[in-house]
Amino acid sequence: MTMKQQEMIINKIKDTLVRAGSTFREDQKEAYRQAIKKETLPRAKWVLETILEDAEVAEKNRSPLCDDTGIPHVFLEVGPNKSVTGADLEAIRLGVAEGLRELPGRPMGIKGDDKQRLDQSGGLDEDSAGVLPAPILIKQVEEDVLRAHVLMLGGGPAIRGITHRVFHKHSVSVVTDEIVKRASEAVALLGCSPCALSVGIGRSQFEASSLMIEAMVYSNFAVQSDLEKKITDKVNESNVGPLGLKGATSVLATFMKVGPQRASGIRVVCMRPSCCFEPRMASVEL
Amino acid sequence: MKKIVTPITDEAINEIAVGDMVYLSGYIYTGRDAVLPKVLELIESDGLEKAGINLQGSVIFHTAVSPAGVGPTSSNKLEIEGSIPALSKAGVKLHLGKGELSSKTIEELDKYNSVYAVIPPVTALLESKTLERKLVAFPELGMEALHLLKVDSFPAIIAAAHGKSIY
Repeated sequence: MTMKQQEMIINKIKDTLVRAGSTFREDQKEAYRQAIKKETLPRAKWVLETILEDAEVAEKNRSPLCDDTGIPHVFLEVGPNKSVTGADLEAIRLGVAEGLRELPGRPMGIKGDDKQRLDQSGGLDEDSAGVLPAPILIKQVEEDVLRAHVLMLGGGPAIRGITHRVFHKHSVSVVTDEIVKRASEAVALLGCSPCALSVGIGRSQFEASSLMIEAMVYSNFAVQSDLEKKITDKVNESNVGPLGLKGATSVLATFMKVGPQRASGIRVVCMRPSCCFEPRMASVEL
Repeated sequence: MKKIVTPITDEAINEIAVGDMVYLSGYIYTGRDAVLPKVLELIESDGLEKAGINLQGSVIFHTAVSPAGVGPTSSNKLEIEGSIPALSKAGVKLHLGKGELSSKTIEELDKYNSVYAVIPPVTALLESKTLERKLVAFPELGMEALHLLKVDSFPAIIAAAHGKSIY
């Protein structure tokens, strides 16, 4: 890889991370506009309007949507004639670091050895880039492209998310009912609603979590399957509302990815109640 | 929208009701899990004045202050909610954060004629309404240190006041 090629990847990833942390996608804005129209409670409507106003200011200033700027997660799509080298991955890592400094990301990386990182005694890294990205996910795709998606995952949904098996009893409803139950409890405790529920269903905890990330990557608030819509509607019956202040909009949409399954009595479900700004995600071709 | 300006008087609190949507302006302190127990220690040891802290009629916003901006953390975390009664007794009139508080805390707020408001986590918007920021105490806590902000029209909703709660 030439210096110029490396610089190009660094700059593209940097810009993509800043966009992910500061910009609502058009389908996300439209989901808010529709929710504002439907809300009848003045304070619920006001919260939604304030979040949308925040998104407009953040986009204009290229500044963080939320002060919990999140943990960077990178998802790579690799087409048939494309390749990813170690040098590419290093350039992506550097691009993430530069992006965190430019956004700026909240400097919340913990320093120190295993024990110090666990009990937070190692202190905080003052550099925004001290927040290291999660391991990169790579997906083989038919389109002949090398594309990076950068997601910024906040802490609140990490507190309330659950990855756990469901005994499916050979019934789709048993699985979706359990997702609704877990999500309803999580959304009520989250505080930063309305949510976008992100769900992955796989054969192991790793696979389910990876599929949950993939569900966020391919998310579109305007495109909902029957199962996704059913989950959204059911959780909205909880009447948690924006910021937990009651109202019709507890969940704006559900993004679910069902992976391959095996002959077994269980399905492993990863459910993340993504907060009112998520999925904070932007994409770029490398 | 009602307007609240610091320092907040008892009379101003008497005119506030649960569910009111308000704009908050003036000087407000920030603090969360790490620093609020230390502020309680200062209250206990009569050390507020020496530390340059005046809680009379004040606001505590449950947030960190970092280059990324400010935004509410959950007020029902142990150290944060646990600080509310003593801070109210010491003069704090408005606690600003997010999430539901216990009925016991709501009773304590009423006892000292203090209120609790929730604020949307709208960091970019809040940044545009923040005029000044100053480190006040405990610099070793970094972004979790006690800061003082001068703000203009922070949007919030009164979630607990006079023994009642929005939840």
